[in-house]
Amino acid sequence: MNTASPAPSRAPIAREAVDLTVPIGGVTLKNPILTASGTFGYGLEYDDFYDVAELGGICSKGLSLEPRHGNAPERIAETAAGMLNAIGLANVGVEAFCKDKLPTLRKRGVAVVANVFATTVADFERLTRRLDGEEGITAIELNVSCPNVDKGGMEFGCDPAAAARVTEACRAATRLPLWVKMSPEAGEPKKVGLACQEAGADALTAINTIRGLSIDVHTWKPRLANATGGLSGPALKPIAIRLVWELSRAVTIPIIGIGGIARTEDAIEFMLAGASAVQVGTANFADPMAAKKVLEGLRDYCAARGLAARELIGKLDYVKR
Amino acid sequence: MADAAHSKRTLHRLALHRRDSIGAAYHVLTFHAEQPLAVEAGQFAMVRGAAWGDAPLLPRPMSLLTGGHRPSILIKVVGEGTRRMAHASGGEPFDLLAPLGIPWSACPTDRTPLLVAGGVGVAPLVFLARKLGERKALSIYGGRTADDLPMHEELAALGELRVATEDGSRGTRGRVTVALEVALDELARAATPPKVYCCGPDRMMAAVAALCATRGVDCEVSLETPMACGYGVCLGCPVKKSAGGYLYACTEGPCIAAERIDWQATR
Repeated sequence: MNTASPAPSRAPIAREAVDLTVPIGGVTLKNPILTASGTFGYGLEYDDFYDVAELGGICSKGLSLEPRHGNAPERIAETAAGMLNAIGLANVGVEAFCKDKLPTLRKRGVAVVANVFATTVADFERLTRRLDGEEGITAIELNVSCPNVDKGGMEFGCDPAAAARVTEACRAATRLPLWVKMSPEAGEPKKVGLACQEAGADALTAINTIRGLSIDVHTWKPRLANATGGLSGPALKPIAIRLVWELSRAVTIPIIGIGGIARTEDAIEFMLAGASAVQVGTANFADPMAAKKVLEGLRDYCAARGLAARELIGKLDYVKR
Repeated sequence: MADAAHSKRTLHRLALHRRDSIGAAYHVLTFHAEQPLAVEAGQFAMVRGAAWGDAPLLPRPMSLLTGGHRPSILIKVVGEGTRRMAHASGGEPFDLLAPLGIPWSACPTDRTPLLVAGGVGVAPLVFLARKLGERKALSIYGGRTADDLPMHEELAALGELRVATEDGSRGTRGRVTVALEVALDELARAATPPKVYCCGPDRMMAAVAALCATRGVDCEVSLETPMACGYGVCLGCPVKKSAGGYLYACTEGPCIAAERIDWQATR
């Protein structure tokens, strides 16, 4: 028998009266809906679709010190309710980002989260220092969890001590908020999260993709040139929500939830599990308006219940019986 | 064909107007667009059934056959997405993100348009042949068998058509390059040299590009690769450039000068 009572709510309020702001370690985002690194370019590809300054923020394509060409094709393969990718962090490099992309984003008032990637602790620090001098960056997101590069990806994010070393080095290089993007493949994600928190992280982004393999039964070859790739999309969602829930109970810094968010209901699930904000990723591919639709749906949801967005954070109603 | 870059890319929710089967594997899907879809020959759409839910997850890149009030695509059934499209009935809603990509470049008046198509790759060339209208394109169309030439009648109606099949079940036996060599020989003596437009399997395009390069003939191809987004953010559609590095088929193509591609790297 289902004895669950409806979640608490108040009298409806006007959509425009809804308070969507959320605090994330020292900064207040205008709303909790962001876009995920690697699924949104540099935010400048959306002029035909909508004003991305309406979002809580955008996470740049992963930036490295030097430009990267990325992996050979095939780089993507569709799987059940998801996709594998092995892009290999193709990006314009941090200098071109600061020179060609950031000024426009700044002028438009976009909250920019610079996602960075390096193969050594020293290069992570250099990247952070380079971005520290730039105006218009809301936070730096440390990608210590990319599964598609030979070196420097998950090895940092899967080991608490290594993740802490990267965080600590970057902490010393900037006063900007530091978000650390968690790997779902760490043996003990809570220990990685706690280590990052102690090393000075302001927030944790959870989660990056999980490695998968898909095989073409006609050719007997992997469907990706890299063989394995990171799984994203709705298939990832329950795993990501579980990790957000576990992490949010282990650390005191905010969690930014990510993994298969395509609809407003998905974003609300992540927030109830403990996320202070969320990132929309793979859903942007099929619908460039996806993040905006999630945001408008969240506004409706809060208006109908007379809630502020931040009142959803960590409100999962669960008592073990 | 110049103003395409300024047409706003939009996600259109369109109802399927009709589906026409061509043999077992090919279908033309025609949609109903209240507002006419402004597209140029060679541009494409990302197409996905609005009721597909979470699977198949991604839209499919499809060359447009027509735009306007009756945008249409030619599909070949290869996987789950195209299988669903092949079973769609009238009224079914689809999402089309369009117009996308670089269209065919204009064929100068002092050139003879020469269209080379392979199988389902015929779609953007049918659009081009319609656009060329009075200029009556010469088309060479190849397929494995007579069943792999889904739009040969349209091409024949729009100009001169020469067919090549690998099993000889229609037209000359062999690959399109044999027929293309004959056509290039003929046109070598013509007052207006040819400009080749080509779309088909990578191996065919590589062979056509090589032949054109040897003869000093202008050649443009329409690239086909898997894509997740179609508008430049997923970076899933890299094609190796002759100058090194990658270009992205969705925003730098699909229509592009053949000489810009490193054909050794294509499969």
